[in-house]
Amino acid sequence: MGLLSSSASFVRFSVEGEMPANFWDFAAERIAGHAFRDIDDSYEEHSIGWVSIMNMFDSEFAYASYAAGDYIALAMRMDDRKVAPAVLKKFCQKEEERLKKERQIPKLSRGQKLEIKENMNLMLIKKAVPVPSVYDMCWNLADNTVLFFSTSAKAQASFEDLFKETFDLHLILQVPFLAAGKLIDPDLEDRLADMGPTILL
Amino acid sequence: MDLVDIIAEKRFLGQEFVTWLWYKSEERGGAIDIPGMGDVSVVFEKHLLLESGEGDSREKVICQGLQSELTEARTGLRMGKKLEQARILLGHGEYQWNLTIRASMFDLKSVKVPKTMAASEESDDPEAIEGRLLEKISLYEQALQFVDELFRMYLQVRLSNDWEKEVLKVRTWINAG
Repeated sequence: MGLLSSSASFVRFSVEGEMPANFWDFAAERIAGHAFRDIDDSYEEHSIGWVSIMNMFDSEFAYASYAAGDYIALAMRMDDRKVAPAVLKKFCQKEEERLKKERQIPKLSRGQKLEIKENMNLMLIKKAVPVPSVYDMCWNLADNTVLFFSTSAKAQASFEDLFKETFDLHLILQVPFLAAGKLIDPDLEDRLADMGPTILL
Repeated sequence: MDLVDIIAEKRFLGQEFVTWLWYKSEERGGAIDIPGMGDVSVVFEKHLLLESGEGDSREKVICQGLQSELTEARTGLRMGKKLEQARILLGHGEYQWNLTIRASMFDLKSVKVPKTMAASEESDDPEAIEGRLLEKISLYEQALQFVDELFRMYLQVRLSNDWEKEVLKVRTWINAG
Protein backbone atom coordinates (compact mmCIF):
# COMPACT_ATOMS: atom_id res chain seq x y z
CA MET A 1 0.00 0.00 0.00
CA GLY A 2 1.59 3.19 -1.18
CA LEU A 3 2.01 6.70 0.04
CA LEU A 4 -1.18 8.01 -1.53
CA SER A 5 -3.46 5.11 -0.68
CA SER A 6 -6.03 5.42 2.09
CA SER A 7 -4.04 3.18 4.42
CA ALA A 8 -0.26 2.74 4.35
CA SER A 9 2.44 0.74 6.08
CA PHE A 10 5.95 2.09 6.41
CA VAL A 11 9.30 2.06 8.17
CA ARG A 12 11.72 4.88 8.79
CA PHE A 13 15.38 5.00 7.82
CA SER A 14 18.00 7.59 8.64
CA VAL A 15 20.32 8.64 5.83
CA GLU A 16 24.03 8.51 6.66
CA GLY A 17 26.75 10.13 4.61
CA GLU A 18 27.81 13.41 3.09
CA MET A 19 25.31 15.12 0.75
CA PRO A 20 26.93 16.81 -2.28
CA ALA A 21 26.76 20.63 -2.40
CA ASN A 22 24.79 20.86 -5.67
CA PHE A 23 22.35 18.26 -4.43
CA TRP A 24 19.43 18.69 -6.87
CA ASP A 25 21.70 18.41 -9.94
CA PHE A 26 23.37 15.39 -8.43
CA ALA A 27 19.99 13.81 -7.60
CA ALA A 28 18.62 14.46 -11.13
CA GLU A 29 21.63 12.79 -12.73
CA ARG A 30 21.66 9.82 -10.37
CA ILE A 31 17.91 9.20 -10.50
CA ALA A 32 18.00 9.27 -14.33
CA GLY A 33 20.94 6.86 -14.22
CA HIS A 34 19.01 4.42 -12.05
CA ALA A 35 15.58 4.86 -13.62
CA PHE A 36 13.63 1.68 -14.22
CA ARG A 37 14.25 -0.13 -17.52
CA ASP A 38 11.42 -2.17 -18.96
CA ILE A 39 12.19 -5.86 -19.66
CA ASP A 40 8.88 -6.84 -21.26
CA ASP A 41 10.52 -7.18 -24.68
CA SER A 42 13.76 -8.84 -23.56
CA TYR A 43 14.62 -12.10 -21.79
CA GLU A 44 16.17 -10.46 -18.75
CA GLU A 45 15.19 -12.05 -15.48
CA HIS A 46 15.22 -9.03 -13.22
CA SER A 47 15.07 -5.24 -13.43
CA ILE A 48 15.01 -2.67 -10.63
CA GLY A 49 14.94 1.12 -10.69
CA TRP A 50 13.04 4.32 -9.96
CA VAL A 51 9.67 5.32 -11.38
CA SER A 52 7.25 8.13 -10.66
CA ILE A 53 5.14 7.71 -7.56
CA MET A 54 2.05 8.60 -9.62
CA ASN A 55 2.68 6.28 -12.56
CA MET A 56 4.81 3.14 -12.67
CA PHE A 57 5.28 3.56 -16.45
CA ASP A 58 6.91 6.98 -16.02
CA SER A 59 10.67 6.75 -15.62
CA GLU A 60 11.40 10.04 -17.39
CA PHE A 61 10.44 12.37 -14.51
CA ALA A 62 9.56 15.39 -16.63
CA TYR A 63 10.25 18.67 -14.75
CA ALA A 64 11.81 16.71 -11.85
CA SER A 65 8.40 15.36 -10.87
CA TYR A 66 10.06 13.54 -7.94
CA ALA A 67 10.74 16.86 -6.18
CA ALA A 68 8.05 17.98 -3.76
CA GLY A 69 9.06 20.82 -1.45
CA ASP A 70 11.97 19.62 0.67
CA TYR A 71 11.25 16.01 -0.25
CA ILE A 72 12.13 13.53 -2.93
CA ALA A 73 9.21 11.21 -3.54
CA LEU A 74 9.89 8.20 -5.75
CA ALA A 75 8.77 4.65 -6.26
CA MET A 76 11.07 1.66 -6.53
CA ARG A 77 9.89 -0.74 -9.21
CA MET A 78 11.10 -4.32 -9.46
CA ASP A 79 10.08 -6.60 -12.31
CA ASP A 80 10.91 -10.30 -12.00
CA ARG A 81 10.42 -13.21 -14.31
CA LYS A 82 9.57 -16.11 -12.05
CA VAL A 83 8.75 -19.75 -12.64
CA ALA A 84 6.37 -21.47 -10.23
CA PRO A 85 8.14 -24.45 -8.58
CA ALA A 86 5.30 -26.81 -9.55
CA VAL A 87 5.62 -25.77 -13.21
CA LEU A 88 9.40 -26.28 -13.18
CA LYS A 89 8.97 -29.68 -11.56
CA LYS A 90 6.41 -30.75 -14.18
CA PHE A 91 8.60 -29.78 -17.13
CA CYS A 92 11.68 -31.45 -15.56
CA GLN A 93 9.83 -34.71 -15.02
CA LYS A 94 8.44 -34.61 -18.55
CA GLU A 95 11.92 -34.08 -20.03
CA GLU A 96 13.46 -36.78 -17.82
CA GLU A 97 10.87 -39.31 -19.02
CA ARG A 98 11.44 -38.33 -22.63
CA LEU A 99 15.21 -38.77 -22.33
CA LYS A 100 14.95 -42.12 -20.54
CA LYS A 101 12.71 -43.43 -23.30
CA GLU A 102 14.89 -42.02 -26.07
CA ARG A 103 18.12 -43.46 -24.63
CA GLN A 104 16.52 -46.68 -23.38
CA ILE A 105 17.98 -46.28 -19.88
CA PRO A 106 16.24 -46.97 -16.50
CA LYS A 107 17.41 -43.81 -14.77
CA LEU A 108 19.36 -40.59 -15.24
CA SER A 109 22.43 -39.47 -13.31
CA ARG A 110 22.33 -36.59 -10.84
CA GLY A 111 24.37 -34.47 -13.25
CA GLN A 112 21.93 -35.09 -16.10
CA LYS A 113 18.97 -34.21 -13.89
CA LEU A 114 20.65 -30.96 -12.84
CA GLU A 115 21.36 -30.06 -16.45
CA ILE A 116 17.71 -30.70 -17.37
CA LYS A 117 16.58 -28.50 -14.45
CA GLU A 118 18.85 -25.69 -15.58
CA ASN A 119 17.69 -25.89 -19.20
CA MET A 120 14.01 -26.09 -18.28
CA ASN A 121 14.36 -23.14 -15.92
CA LEU A 122 15.95 -21.05 -18.68
CA MET A 123 13.30 -22.04 -21.21
CA LEU A 124 10.43 -21.26 -18.81
CA ILE A 125 11.91 -17.95 -17.64
CA LYS A 126 12.02 -16.77 -21.23
CA LYS A 127 8.32 -17.52 -21.53
CA ALA A 128 7.39 -15.94 -18.20
CA VAL A 129 5.86 -12.46 -18.08
CA PRO A 130 7.73 -10.08 -15.73
CA VAL A 131 5.78 -9.53 -12.51
CA PRO A 132 6.00 -5.94 -11.21
CA SER A 133 6.24 -4.82 -7.58
CA VAL A 134 6.19 -1.12 -6.74
CA TYR A 135 7.13 0.45 -3.40
CA ASP A 136 6.91 4.17 -2.62
CA MET A 137 9.45 6.17 -0.65
CA CYS A 138 9.83 9.76 0.45
CA TRP A 139 13.06 11.35 1.54
CA ASN A 140 12.87 14.28 3.93
CA LEU A 141 15.95 16.30 2.94
CA ALA A 142 15.67 18.68 5.90
CA ASP A 143 16.11 16.01 8.58
CA ASN A 144 17.61 13.29 6.36
CA THR A 145 15.09 10.56 7.03
CA VAL A 146 13.37 8.30 4.55
CA LEU A 147 9.98 6.67 4.86
CA PHE A 148 9.74 3.45 2.88
CA PHE A 149 6.26 2.14 2.28
CA SER A 150 6.62 -1.57 2.87
CA THR A 151 7.27 -3.67 5.95
CA SER A 152 8.66 -6.58 3.90
CA ALA A 153 12.28 -7.27 4.91
CA LYS A 154 13.09 -8.43 1.36
CA ALA A 155 11.73 -5.23 -0.22
CA GLN A 156 13.60 -3.17 2.39
CA ALA A 157 16.90 -4.92 1.57
CA SER A 158 16.46 -4.26 -2.18
CA PHE A 159 15.56 -0.65 -1.39
CA GLU A 160 18.65 -0.12 0.76
CA ASP A 161 20.83 -1.44 -2.09
CA LEU A 162 19.16 0.68 -4.78
CA PHE A 163 19.33 3.81 -2.60
CA LYS A 164 23.02 3.27 -1.94
CA GLU A 165 23.81 2.60 -5.59
CA THR A 166 21.86 5.69 -6.65
CA PHE A 167 22.94 8.28 -4.09
CA ASP A 168 26.12 6.80 -2.52
CA LEU A 169 24.42 7.20 0.88
CA HIS A 170 23.67 4.53 3.47
CA LEU A 171 20.26 3.90 5.00
CA ILE A 172 19.92 2.73 8.59
CA LEU A 173 16.64 1.24 9.74
CA GLN A 174 15.38 3.14 12.78
CA VAL A 175 14.63 0.29 15.15
CA PRO A 176 13.67 1.41 18.71
CA PHE A 177 17.22 1.35 20.12
CA LEU A 178 18.58 3.58 17.32
CA ALA A 179 15.54 5.86 17.40
CA ALA A 180 16.06 6.18 21.19
CA GLY A 181 19.65 7.33 20.67
CA LYS A 182 18.35 10.33 18.69
CA LEU A 183 15.75 11.28 21.31
CA ILE A 184 17.74 11.27 24.55
CA ASP A 185 20.35 13.60 26.02
CA PRO A 186 23.85 12.56 24.93
CA ASP A 187 24.90 12.04 28.57
CA LEU A 188 22.31 9.24 28.90
CA GLU A 189 23.75 7.23 26.00
CA ASP A 190 25.77 4.90 28.24
CA ARG A 191 22.70 4.21 30.35
CA LEU A 192 20.72 3.36 27.24
CA ALA A 193 23.45 1.04 25.96
CA ASP A 194 23.65 -0.83 29.29
CA MET A 195 19.89 -1.12 29.70
CA GLY A 196 18.38 -4.59 30.13
CA PRO A 197 14.73 -5.67 30.20
CA THR A 198 12.55 -4.89 33.23
CA ILE A 199 10.49 -7.65 34.81
CA LEU A 200 6.98 -6.20 34.78
CA LEU A 201 5.32 -9.06 36.70
CA MET B 1 27.04 -3.39 17.62
CA ASP B 2 25.62 -4.11 14.16
CA LEU B 3 21.94 -3.90 13.29
CA VAL B 4 21.28 -7.66 13.54
CA ASP B 5 22.67 -7.75 17.11
CA ILE B 6 20.78 -4.60 18.07
CA ILE B 7 17.52 -6.10 16.81
CA ALA B 8 18.11 -9.33 18.76
CA GLU B 9 19.53 -7.87 21.99
CA LYS B 10 17.36 -4.76 22.28
CA ARG B 11 14.09 -6.32 21.14
CA PHE B 12 12.67 -5.72 24.62
CA LEU B 13 12.98 -1.92 24.33
CA GLY B 14 10.09 -1.35 21.90
CA GLN B 15 7.96 -4.01 23.58
CA GLU B 16 8.47 -2.49 27.02
CA PHE B 17 7.63 0.96 25.61
CA VAL B 18 4.34 -0.19 24.06
CA THR B 19 3.37 -1.96 27.31
CA TRP B 20 4.17 1.20 29.25
CA LEU B 21 2.16 3.21 26.69
CA TRP B 22 -0.87 1.00 27.25
CA TYR B 23 -0.57 1.55 31.00
CA LYS B 24 0.00 5.28 30.50
CA SER B 25 -3.02 5.64 28.19
CA GLU B 26 -5.29 4.07 30.81
CA GLU B 27 -3.83 6.05 33.69
CA ARG B 28 -5.85 9.13 32.65
CA GLY B 29 -8.64 7.47 30.71
CA GLY B 30 -7.06 7.51 27.26
CA ALA B 31 -5.27 10.88 27.27
CA ILE B 32 -1.57 11.58 27.63
CA ASP B 33 -0.19 15.06 28.16
CA ILE B 34 2.81 15.38 25.85
CA PRO B 35 5.07 18.31 26.82
CA GLY B 36 4.78 20.99 24.16
CA MET B 37 1.86 19.31 22.41
CA GLY B 38 -0.82 19.07 25.06
CA ASP B 39 -3.27 16.24 25.48
CA VAL B 40 -3.09 13.51 22.88
CA SER B 41 -5.61 10.72 23.06
CA VAL B 42 -4.03 7.29 22.91
CA VAL B 43 -6.49 4.42 22.84
CA PHE B 44 -5.55 0.76 22.49
CA GLU B 45 -8.17 -0.93 20.42
CA LYS B 46 -9.31 -4.03 18.66
CA HIS B 47 -6.09 -5.86 18.08
CA LEU B 48 -3.12 -6.84 20.23
CA LEU B 49 -0.42 -9.41 19.55
CA LEU B 50 1.62 -10.83 22.40
CA GLU B 51 4.58 -13.14 22.24
CA SER B 52 6.54 -15.36 24.55
CA GLY B 53 9.77 -17.32 24.23
CA GLU B 54 12.72 -16.52 22.05
CA GLY B 55 14.09 -17.40 18.62
CA ASP B 56 12.62 -20.59 17.16
CA SER B 57 10.48 -21.30 20.23
CA ARG B 58 8.74 -17.92 20.03
CA GLU B 59 4.95 -18.19 20.34
CA LYS B 60 2.40 -15.59 19.36
CA VAL B 61 -1.11 -14.93 20.65
CA ILE B 62 -3.56 -12.52 19.04
CA CYS B 63 -6.29 -10.87 21.13
CA GLN B 64 -9.10 -9.17 19.26
CA GLY B 65 -12.43 -7.66 20.20
CA LEU B 66 -14.28 -4.53 19.18
CA GLN B 67 -15.59 -3.43 22.55
CA SER B 68 -13.54 -5.73 24.72
CA GLU B 69 -11.50 -4.70 27.74
CA LEU B 70 -8.69 -6.76 26.27
CA THR B 71 -8.66 -8.88 29.42
CA GLU B 72 -7.05 -11.83 27.64
CA ALA B 73 -4.16 -9.60 26.64
CA ARG B 74 -3.75 -8.36 30.21
CA THR B 75 -3.78 -11.94 31.44
CA GLY B 76 -1.05 -12.57 28.86
CA LEU B 77 1.05 -9.78 30.38
CA ARG B 78 0.58 -11.35 33.83
CA MET B 79 1.88 -14.63 32.38
CA GLY B 80 5.02 -12.83 31.23
CA LYS B 81 4.10 -12.48 27.56
CA LYS B 82 5.43 -9.42 25.77
CA LEU B 83 3.31 -6.96 23.81
CA GLU B 84 4.63 -7.07 20.24
CA GLN B 85 1.92 -5.42 18.17
CA ALA B 86 -0.95 -3.08 19.00
CA ARG B 87 -3.64 -1.19 17.11
CA ILE B 88 -3.72 2.33 18.48
CA LEU B 89 -5.92 5.34 17.92
CA LEU B 90 -4.11 8.66 18.26
CA GLY B 91 -6.13 11.85 18.46
CA HIS B 92 -5.00 15.46 18.57
CA GLY B 93 -7.46 18.33 18.24
CA GLU B 94 -9.89 17.45 15.47
CA TYR B 95 -7.55 14.98 13.86
CA GLN B 96 -7.35 11.27 14.33
CA TRP B 97 -4.85 8.62 13.23
CA ASN B 98 -5.20 4.85 13.43
CA LEU B 99 -2.12 2.71 13.25
CA THR B 100 -0.68 -0.65 14.17
CA ILE B 101 2.76 -0.47 15.73
CA ARG B 102 5.12 -3.46 15.65
CA ALA B 103 7.02 -2.89 18.87
CA SER B 104 10.32 -4.68 18.24
CA MET B 105 11.00 -2.95 14.90
CA PHE B 106 8.88 0.24 15.05
CA ASP B 107 7.11 -0.59 11.79
CA LEU B 108 3.86 1.31 11.44
CA LYS B 109 1.22 -0.71 9.62
CA SER B 110 -2.21 0.11 8.17
CA VAL B 111 -1.77 3.78 9.07
CA LYS B 112 -4.92 5.77 8.44
CA VAL B 113 -4.43 9.51 8.50
CA PRO B 114 -7.12 12.19 8.93
CA LYS B 115 -9.03 12.87 5.74
CA THR B 116 -8.55 16.50 4.87
CA MET B 117 -9.88 16.87 1.34
CA ALA B 118 -13.03 15.62 -0.38
CA ALA B 119 -12.40 13.28 -3.33
CA SER B 120 -14.14 15.73 -5.68
CA GLU B 121 -11.56 18.41 -4.86
CA GLU B 122 -8.72 16.22 -6.07
CA SER B 123 -7.31 17.39 -9.37
CA ASP B 124 -4.58 15.93 -11.55
CA ASP B 125 -2.51 18.99 -12.37
CA PRO B 126 1.12 18.77 -11.14
CA GLU B 127 0.73 21.43 -8.46
CA ALA B 128 -2.34 19.76 -6.99
CA ILE B 129 -0.52 16.40 -7.01
CA GLU B 130 2.50 17.93 -5.25
CA GLY B 131 0.18 19.53 -2.68
CA ARG B 132 -1.54 16.22 -2.08
CA LEU B 133 1.78 14.40 -1.72
CA LEU B 134 3.14 16.95 0.74
CA GLU B 135 -0.02 16.87 2.79
CA LYS B 136 -0.04 13.08 2.99
CA ILE B 137 3.66 12.98 3.92
CA SER B 138 3.14 15.60 6.60
CA LEU B 139 0.28 13.57 8.12
CA TYR B 140 2.46 10.43 8.21
CA GLU B 141 5.29 12.41 9.76
CA GLN B 142 2.91 13.77 12.39
CA ALA B 143 1.94 10.21 13.34
CA LEU B 144 5.65 9.44 13.71
CA GLN B 145 6.17 12.59 15.72
CA PHE B 146 3.51 11.49 18.23
CA VAL B 147 5.20 8.10 18.51
CA ASP B 148 8.60 9.79 18.94
CA GLU B 149 7.32 12.14 21.64
CA LEU B 150 5.62 9.31 23.53
CA PHE B 151 8.80 7.24 23.20
CA ARG B 152 10.83 10.20 24.49
CA MET B 153 8.51 10.43 27.54
CA TYR B 154 9.03 6.73 28.19
CA LEU B 155 12.82 7.03 27.80
CA GLN B 156 12.96 9.99 30.17
CA VAL B 157 11.38 8.01 32.98
CA ARG B 158 13.04 4.73 31.93
CA LEU B 159 16.55 6.19 32.15
CA SER B 160 15.86 8.12 35.35
CA ASN B 161 15.95 7.08 38.99
CA ASP B 162 12.13 7.19 39.01
CA TRP B 163 11.86 4.05 36.91
CA GLU B 164 11.52 1.77 39.95
CA LYS B 165 8.50 3.77 41.11
CA GLU B 166 7.01 3.69 37.62
CA VAL B 167 7.49 -0.09 37.43
CA LEU B 168 5.49 -0.52 40.64
CA LYS B 169 2.61 1.44 39.08
CA VAL B 170 2.76 -0.61 35.86
CA ARG B 171 2.76 -3.85 37.92
CA THR B 172 -0.27 -2.70 39.91
CA TRP B 173 -2.06 -1.87 36.66
CA ILE B 174 -1.22 -5.25 35.08
CA ASN B 175 -2.41 -7.12 38.16
CA ALA B 176 -5.61 -5.05 38.42
CA GLY B 177 -6.72 -5.94 34.87
